[in-house]
This record gives sequence, structure tokens and C-alpha cells, in this order.
Amino acid sequence: MKNPIHLFSLTFFFFVGCITLEKEKNIESNSKNSILIADKQFQEKTELQKSMQRGKNIYSGFCMQCHLPDGKGVPGNFPPLAGSDWLTEKRSESIYVVKYGQTGEIIVNGVKYNNVMAPLGLSDDEVADVMNYIMNSWENTQNQMVTVEEVKAVKK
Amino acid sequence: MKYFLSYVVAISFFTSCAQQLKLNDIPIKEEVRNYTIKSFVSNINIPWGMTWLPDGSMLITEKSGDLIHFINDEKINITTTFDDLYVRGQGGLLDIELHPNYPENGWIYISYASNEGEGEGGNTKLVRAKLIENNLTQVETLYKATPNTTSGVHFGSRIVFDKEGYVYLTIGDRGNHEENPQNLQKDGGKVYRFHEDGRIPDDNPFTNEAGAKTSIFSYGHRNLQGMAIHPTSGKIWTHEHGPKGGDEINILKKGANYGWPEITYGLNYNGTIITEETERDGMENPIYYWFPSIAPSGMAFVTGDKFPEWKGNLLVGSLKFQYLELVQLNGNNVISRQKIATDIGRLRNVKIGPDGYIYIAVEGKGIERITPN
Ligand code: HEC
Repeated sequence: MKNPIHLFSLTFFFFVGCITLEKEKNIESNSKNSILIADKQFQEKTELQKSMQRGKNIYSGFCMQCHLPDGKGVPGNFPPLAGSDWLTEKRSESIYVVKYGQTGEIIVNGVKYNNVMAPLGLSDDEVADVMNYIMNSWENTQNQMVTVEEVKAVKK
Repeated sequence: MKYFLSYVVAISFFTSCAQQLKLNDIPIKEEVRNYTIKSFVSNINIPWGMTWLPDGSMLITEKSGDLIHFINDEKINITTTFDDLYVRGQGGLLDIELHPNYPENGWIYISYASNEGEGEGGNTKLVRAKLIENNLTQVETLYKATPNTTSGVHFGSRIVFDKEGYVYLTIGDRGNHEENPQNLQKDGGKVYRFHEDGRIPDDNPFTNEAGAKTSIFSYGHRNLQGMAIHPTSGKIWTHEHGPKGGDEINILKKGANYGWPEITYGLNYNGTIITEETERDGMENPIYYWFPSIAPSGMAFVTGDKFPEWKGNLLVGSLKFQYLELVQLNGNNVISRQKIATDIGRLRNVKIGPDGYIYIAVEGKGIERITPN
């Protein structure tokens, strides 16, 4: 009887795994992060939402392969964006990284990374959009939207 | 009870997560390091392509646009005139190869993402040129894929020559798998074949098909960043980045359809299903697929006599797991897999040098050389 029980828990695990996946998908497509920014001015809300929506496309085309769909990255190789202290505490440095790339040692959430993020060739408005997406996705929140002007001001 | 439970297991395998399991896979063996890995050319951010001139010096492309000549332990930047270079996402300066008769004709073949032509964005281009006194000159365009798009993904692109002197180029689906890979009238998701000067061979498979891009040799691909000629059969082997869990090794057949996105073992990155089908009549199945994906880049067969135990086997770089994978073959079958250069960094390219040693291109580092002890 030992084996079947193992098999059963295995089955259960797979089912649960897949159900969770389905759920996440639904949440993502239904709410479009509106909860996160409910306390903002109406005008700003739509601006931010629009920017995040564009940013989401940029994210899947330019970032997801390394930082993964859940923003958790790969321990040791690609730092997380979800819950990243670097991203919350170093706003202009983060813009710099997305605009020009990043090589060499950095520490994110206490973990050392020494890898390469090559320059991605994004335009300033694309950088702003993807910044707004990563700063307001998963559990991340920010108080102030990233603007194109702010990105322009970050120089090499 | 026992039967019932196995039944439930089977059902859950085949329904809920059908394609994210690979039963009876060949596990990768841990590294046994009885060789030495040493830096050969240091400080190159993204070394994408590499090749050797007859004098043994090296030419290396760096994705952002530098063409580096490594000679007498010195890195010299070659002056290029790629005004249309499009550095975005995975695009930039990509592969480099010499013509098999280089000593006589001096032709160097280079692929890169280019914004030439109409429309915003870029697409993959193949050129040939000559190296004269640290300048890349006499640049001829052999092919430029269309349309330009601002998508940052899936440019390909590897270049190889076969034993008959045809030149092959890979171009990825440019992130548009709905339209490109299965449509012979569109670029992207294809392997192309040309004469050395860019002319289309008369016996290319789709030369008689109305509206088709006649340069196409095979189609239904996603993003191929590895291609090599088998040392004995002369056949062209490729690998491609699949979606999540669907990276493939294929042996190319003229005119064949490799199925993307109609059939695949992979899922979308977010875990949703692309297609339930993994095979279909008229579409080729890979000889091997990686689950989980390793994100393969660079491909070489071990030749020469420096690594007798590995001879005839395949080397593939892993961007994701940051090692070199030795894929051991029996004919066209993968029989075992072994890690080499564990945790070295994102492994972008691998080649056997003229000295028979293994050269690997590692992102953030440069070129490293593997020599037997
Ligand atoms: C090729 C893989 C790769 C891609 C693609 C990539 N990154 Fe990164 N990213 C990295 C690596 C590696 C680092 C850490 C670099 C280091 O070690 O110095 C990093 C660091 C970061 C950081 C700072 C550290 C942190 O975790 O907060 C941010 C922010 C970031 N990336 C955002 C992005 C965004 C946004 C995109 C897409 C526009 C992107 N990255 C695309 C690999 C990548």
C-alpha cells in the first residue's frame, strides 16, 4: 500500500499545481492590477494603468526570459524583481539598469549577483512603461509613477 | 485500489499537466573535471559569434556591435560600417563564419539584426565582407529578412557552410508564431540556404512554389541559436529554443516542416497550453527535446584527437543553467548527457578550435578554453 499512497500524493500535487496556475491566470486577466492603485486620482489611475499594460508587453518580450513571469528570477543567476529591495530603494539606479544594462556585482535582498544584463535598446517611454509594470506587479507597489521625463533625466 | 490509483495518476499526467512531464528522460550527469578551463580572451560582455583566421587568431562578435580581432594576446577592434545595426533585446551583432575557401577568397560571413528598409524596428540580415588592415570592407548584403518589427526576440541566427559549399542561415520567428513559422511567404522561423554569393540554389525546396520565399530550406522553427555540420554524415544539425519545456535538437531535411507552433512539447512561459499536439503527419519530431528547457545556444561536434572519449558527440551551451552540455550520441540517438563547465555563466557559444581544444563563449566573461589534463 505504500507505493499507491505516494502516487496519490503525487497526483494531488500535480492537480493542485495546475489549479493554482489556472487561478493566477484568471486573477491576472480580470483585475489588471486595479486594486493596487485604487487610492490614486482617477486621471493618474488610467495613465498608470495604460502605462502598465504597455509595460506588460515589454516585460514578456524583453525581461521574462531571465526574470521569469512571476518576477522571482533565478536564485544565483537572475535577481528577483518581485519583492526586490534594489527596485524599491534604488529607483534611479533601477531605471539606469533597464535603460543601459547592468554588469558586475550587485546585491539584491542580501544575495550577491555577478552576472550580465545586456543593454536592451528600449526607448525612454518603453523604459517608463516597463518600470511601471514591474513596480506595480506581483506584490510590488510604488507611490509615484515613472514618467518619460524621469527616464530621460537618467544619463549614462 | 492499486489499479485505481495508478489510473488517477495516469489521468493527471495526461490531462492536467500533460506536456510538462517527460517520462524516461535521460538525466544529466554531474561534471567530472579531468580537464582544465581557463580564460582565453577576457572582458567581453556578450561574445556571440567566434571563428579563427588561418593564422590562428580569432574573430569575435560582441552583441552590442564590436567586432574583435584577438591576435598576439591583444584585442583589436575592427572598424565596421554596419550603420543599420539594430541593438535591441536579443538583436545585435550576431554570428560570424569564414568561407571554407577563405585563404583564397577572403570572404567573412556575418549575421546581425538590421533596421534597413521600410518600417520601424529590425530583422535579421546576412552579409559577407573582407577584412583588410583592421577594416571590414567590401560589404555585400546576401539576405535581409522582412518586415522590420520592434519585437526584441528570436532573431536566430547561426551561419554554417555545408560540405558542398552552400551557406545556411537561421532566423527565429521574431516573436510572431501565429504568422511566421508555418507561412512560406514570410520570413522568420526558418532555415535558409544560399549559394556563397547569396543566389538561391535552383534545387531549394520551394523554388516552384508561388509566392514562397525561395531561400527557405526548412520551416516551422521557433528560434535556432545552434547549428553544426555532422562531421561524418555531413547533415545539418540544429537546436532551437522552444517555449517552456520544448527546446529541441533536429536534423534538417530539405523542405521539412518542424512543426512550430502546431506541434511542440513546450508550454507558454506562464504555463498555459500552446497546443495539445506533439506530433502530426507531415511534421518532423525532434531527435531529442529538453525538459526543463536549458535555453540552448551554440552547437559543435567534438572532432580531432584532443578529447578521444567525447569524439563524435555534441556540445551545446546552456544560457539558462550556465553550463556546457555534452550530448552523447549513438547514431542519431541521444544516449547520455553530461555537464561540463558547471556554473561558468550564460554559455552563448561553443566551437572546436583549429588546435582541437574546446572554446566556449561566456556572457560577462569572454572566451574560455578547455584543454585535457
Ligand atoms: C539576459 C537576462 C536578462 C534580461 C533579458 C533582463 N534582465 Fe534584468 N537583470 C539580469 C541580471 C543578470 C541582473 C543582475 C546583473 C548583475 O549581476 O550585475 C539584472 C538586474 C536587474 C535589475 C536590478 C536588480 C533587481 O533585481 O531589482 C532590474 C530592476 C532589472 N534587471 C529589470 C529588468 C527589466 C525591466 C528587464 C526587461 C526590460 C530585464 N531586467 C531584462 C538579467 C536580465
